[in-house]
Amino acid sequence: MELDLFIRYGPALLSGFGITVLCWIVGSLGGMGLGFLIACLYQWSGSWGRACLQAYIEAVRGTPFMIQLFILYYGGPSFGLLLSPVQAGIFGFIIYGSPYFAEIFRAGFQAVPTGQFEAARCCGMTEWTIVRRIVLPQMLVSITAPLTNFMIILTKETAILSVVTVPELLFETQTMAAETFTYIEPFLALSLFYWAMVEFTSWLGRRVERHVTRHQNRQTP
Amino acid sequence: MTENSSSPANALITARGLGKHYGTFQALSGIDLDILKSEVTCLIGPSGSGKSTLLRCLNFLEAYDEGEVRIDGQLVGWQDGKASPRKPVSATKLREQRRQVGMVFQQFNLWPHMTAAQNVAEALVQVKGLSKAEARDKAILALARVNLRDKADNHPSALSGGQQQRVAIARAIAMEPRVVLFDEPTSALDPELVGEVLNVMRDLAADGMTMVVVTHEMGFAAHVANRVAFLDHGKLVACVPPDEIFRQDPADPRIRSFLQTYRERNVV
Ligand SMILES: Nc1ncnc2c1ncn2[C@@H]1O[C@H](COP(=O)(O)OP(=O)(O)O)[C@@H](O)[C@H]1O
Ligand SMILES: [Mg+2]
Repeated sequence: MELDLFIRYGPALLSGFGITVLCWIVGSLGGMGLGFLIACLYQWSGSWGRACLQAYIEAVRGTPFMIQLFILYYGGPSFGLLLSPVQAGIFGFIIYGSPYFAEIFRAGFQAVPTGQFEAARCCGMTEWTIVRRIVLPQMLVSITAPLTNFMIILTKETAILSVVTVPELLFETQTMAAETFTYIEPFLALSLFYWAMVEFTSWLGRRVERHVTRHQNRQTP
Repeated sequence: MTENSSSPANALITARGLGKHYGTFQALSGIDLDILKSEVTCLIGPSGSGKSTLLRCLNFLEAYDEGEVRIDGQLVGWQDGKASPRKPVSATKLREQRRQVGMVFQQFNLWPHMTAAQNVAEALVQVKGLSKAEARDKAILALARVNLRDKADNHPSALSGGQQQRVAIARAIAMEPRVVLFDEPTSALDPELVGEVLNVMRDLAADGMTMVVVTHEMGFAAHVANRVAFLDHGKLVACVPPDEIFRQDPADPRIRSFLQTYRERNVV
């Protein structure tokens, strides 16, 4: 095995990995934030507001991520939206992930019985206090697993960013493969990187889940 | 509406011409009711007669669409004035109005991720702005009033139904409301647990708390209530001292037939 190949391409691969992680973390945290906002708006909207939010969710969920990226990156300039590849990647990730996150949070909201909202309102709490103190702590128990799951799916969606020339992991690996005519080693390295991200995410998910369910042993279902 | 418009000087809540419908269904209509300070008013009536709806209109959990509800003269939920259609008051104003009214629900509605003391202390911190320590002290006092001091650090899941309902009562009274509304507080309880909740409510009444209680516990209505309001098909049939309802031959045939079912079970 040509060790010198990895010495030569190692920095590029590592920088690709860095960019992948950057897009993944910023993009999915942003998507989570936007999704949470959508779920909150949905919770407190009338039927018209809900229809609009639903339309957004259907539209974004109904298009492939690659097409969304093309529209953002290649179509963006015609709307005056000039983005660097990495910016387009992050922005695209936020939009792409938001409806899935929104649906996870919405299910979380629905898991809290109306009576608990009413009891809180009768005490004079603001809606935001209710979300923060009553809904979120209970919702975390049921949404940690689906959130972790979707974060894991997103690790691998980062590979699609290469189509708009984001110099992420797959992009750098392909470059290496094309320039050196080696395939096995670069793609083996690539898999290790993704595997590390996936393992890290599921480890984190388990930690969070253990933390949020620490009172569960006292609770009968 | 002339003779109804004046209300007794010691009225805390006055409802005048109160009406509410769901779609085309008229759940309440033309309700004139006074809730007097330091009195217990029981609401009784057949299932579906609008008792819960009436109670929930009093703190605007349901937006009533006709007439008015006033607490100390202040219109609840809607902006006062001649504007039509009426506009709701601001969220801040509504919270302020709701803080004067405590509520206890049939299903307790405790927050399961908090201990009994945390359930009681939560709004003291978040709404009244007390420090955590002050709020806990107050919560413990409120729990002591419902005889649950020793259960302060239990989660609701580790409490019996009767204990959970008493925590809910503590949560309501800790906010020092001017009136507490109870919507069938004992209907979800096993029969042997009903007594402990009613005892706590009786103590509250004796301490001069203003209370409006929807209940099927006719014994409580007969012995603790100052006045009993009978609802039927969304209308207030009577609002009178309990002996006028529970005597052998109540004036109104609807009350007579309603109480008949209880007499057959030897409850009254
Ligand atoms: N949200 C709602 N939508 C439609 N109808 C309702 C709603 N809430 C209550 N109702 C109807 O209003 C009537 C009165 O209900 P309710 O006040 O709960 O009665 P009670 O508490 O006396 O049993 C019932 O016929 C019920 O079906
Ligand atoms: Mg009811």
